[in-house]
Amino acid sequence: MKVTICIGSACHLKGSREIIKEMQDLVSARGLKDKVDLNGAFCSGNCVKEGVCVTVDGTLFSLKPEECTEFFEKEIVGRL
Amino acid sequence: MVTNDATILKVKHDVLREVAKLAWEGKLEEGRDEMPYKMIPGPQAQFRCCIYKEREIIRQRVRLAEGKCPSGKDSMNVVQVIGAACEECPIASYVVTDNCRKCMGKACQNSCNFGAISMDDTRAHIDPSKCKECGKCAQACPYSAIAHLERPCKKVCPVDAITYDEYGICIIDEKKCIQCGACVHSCPFGAIGTKTFMVDIIRLIKAGKRVVAMVAPATEGQFGPDITMASWRTALKKMGFADMIEVGLGGDMTAAAEAAEWAEAYKEGKKMTTSCCPAFVNMIRQHFPTLLDNMSTTVSPMCAVSRLVKERDPGTITVFIGPCIAKKSETLDLNIQGNADYALTFGEIRAMMRAKDVELEPEENSYQDSSVFGKRFGNGGGVTAAVVQCFEEMGEDIKPEVMKCNGAAECKKALLLMKVGKLPADFIEGMACVGGCVGGPSKHKAETEAKKARDTLIGKADKRKVLENLEKLGADKVHMHRN
Repeated sequence: MKVTICIGSACHLKGSREIIKEMQDLVSARGLKDKVDLNGAFCSGNCVKEGVCVTVDGTLFSLKPEECTEFFEKEIVGRL
Repeated sequence: MVTNDATILKVKHDVLREVAKLAWEGKLEEGRDEMPYKMIPGPQAQFRCCIYKEREIIRQRVRLAEGKCPSGKDSMNVVQVIGAACEECPIASYVVTDNCRKCMGKACQNSCNFGAISMDDTRAHIDPSKCKECGKCAQACPYSAIAHLERPCKKVCPVDAITYDEYGICIIDEKKCIQCGACVHSCPFGAIGTKTFMVDIIRLIKAGKRVVAMVAPATEGQFGPDITMASWRTALKKMGFADMIEVGLGGDMTAAAEAAEWAEAYKEGKKMTTSCCPAFVNMIRQHFPTLLDNMSTTVSPMCAVSRLVKERDPGTITVFIGPCIAKKSETLDLNIQGNADYALTFGEIRAMMRAKDVELEPEENSYQDSSVFGKRFGNGGGVTAAVVQCFEEMGEDIKPEVMKCNGAAECKKALLLMKVGKLPADFIEGMACVGGCVGGPSKHKAETEAKKARDTLIGKADKRKVLENLEKLGADKVHMHRN
C-alpha cells in the first residue's frame, strides 16, 4: 500500500514531520514494512485544508498530528 | 563547461532566482503570474516561434521551480518534462544526408537485412517502417552519408525511460526513471527539469525554523580553489541557515558501517553492492529487484549526517546541497527514518543566494569535520578507498575485489552480471554519474575543470583517520542502517 505524505512547507508547519515520525514508528512496531510504503510528496496545492495532506492508495485525506494513530488503524491497517 | 543547454542555463537560472526572490519577499502569490511577462517583455520572440510560447515555457518553468508539475498533471516524478519547451525532435533514427552520392557500390543497400533502403532520384532513402535501426548502413557507407539521429534526451537515458507521445512530445516512463537527471542538461531546448524544494525551504527559514545545510563531499573545488567549506558556511548563515555541516563526515560514517557489513559478507562469501548513490539504489529497486538482498543496508552519507544533526538537536530541518538530482528522490523515501528533509542542487542554492544578494566569497578554511576519505566519497572509487581505509583501521586483513562502476551504464552491466551469478568481483561500487558525484547532473564545473582546485582544497585538509574522527565527533553512535 502506498501512503503519501506532503512535505511542502505549509504541511510541514501543520505537523507533517510529526505524522511521518509516528507513521514510521507505527509501521515498524506493527511489522508492516513490507506492506506499507511511506512516500513524501511535493506540495499538491491542497494547502487550504486544515490538516496535512495524506493520500492512501490515491485517496486524499486531511490529517492532524493528534489524529494520526486512529487514522493509521482505520485507513491504513483497515485497508490492508 | 560545455553542456547541450549552455545558452538556456541563464534562462533557467533567472527563473529560479526570480521565484526565490519572490519567496524571500513573501510575494510569490501575487508575483508568479507576472513573471512570464517580466522575463519575456516582447514584442519580438527571442528563441521560439512567438512570445506566447516563450511565456508559456516560463510559466511552466516557474511551476517546476515551485515544486509543481509543469503541465498541471499530478505526478510523483522529480524529473519532469516541460511540455511547452519540447521541440518534438524528429524520431526517424537513421537518415540519409546530402553526402550521399547515389554511388554504384550501394553498400548501404547491400548491408541492409530488412530491405529498408531504396534509391530515389538523388539519393538513397530509408523506409522508416522497415528500418530496424541496426546501423549497418551507416557503418557501410564510404561517404559517411547516413546519420544517426537520436533524441539527445533518449540517447543519454541509461534505463530507456524516455518515449514520446503521438505528437512527438517527450514522456518519461516513471516506472523506469531512476531520477539520475542525465537527461536534464542533455536537452538542447532545456525541456527537462526537476521539481525544486526552494520555496518550501525559504518559507521554513522565514517561519523561524532551525534549518541546517548539509553540503555534499563533491562540493570542494566546484567553485574554484578559494571557495572553501568556510566560504559556504558564511554564505549559508547569511541566508538564514542555522548552521552548515559537511556531508563528507557522513562519508566517514557510511564507510565505517559499510566496512563492518562488507567484512561480514566477505567472510560468508556473499556478494554485495554499495547503497550511497540514490540513482543506483533506484536502479536496483526498479530494474533488479531480485538483488535487493545484496544491497548494503547502510544508509547514505546524507542520511547519516542528517541523523547526527537531528540527534544533536531534535526538530532540526536538514537540507542537502550538492550536484545530485536523485537525492531529491531519496528525501521522498520516507521508509528511511531521519533522512534529510529536503535536497537542493548547486544551481538552486545559488539562485536562492543571489535572490538575497549573497555570494560565495573566498575565505581561509577554518572548518573540517570530515577525513580526506569522506571528502573523496564523491569521486569514482572514493567509496571503495574509504572502506578499504576502514578495514585497515579496524585491523581486518581483507583485500576485496571491487567492481567500481563509473556511470549508470557500467552499473547496469555489473548488476546484470550479478543477477546471473557471474560477477567477477566481491562487491560493486555503484555510481550512476560518470566520475562519481563530482560528475553529477547539477555540477557547476566538469570534473576535469574542477580537479585542480579540488585537489588543492582537499590537499590542505588534515590527515585524520576515519574511525578516530567519528569517535571524536560522537558520530560513531548513530544508527547506520536502513531499518
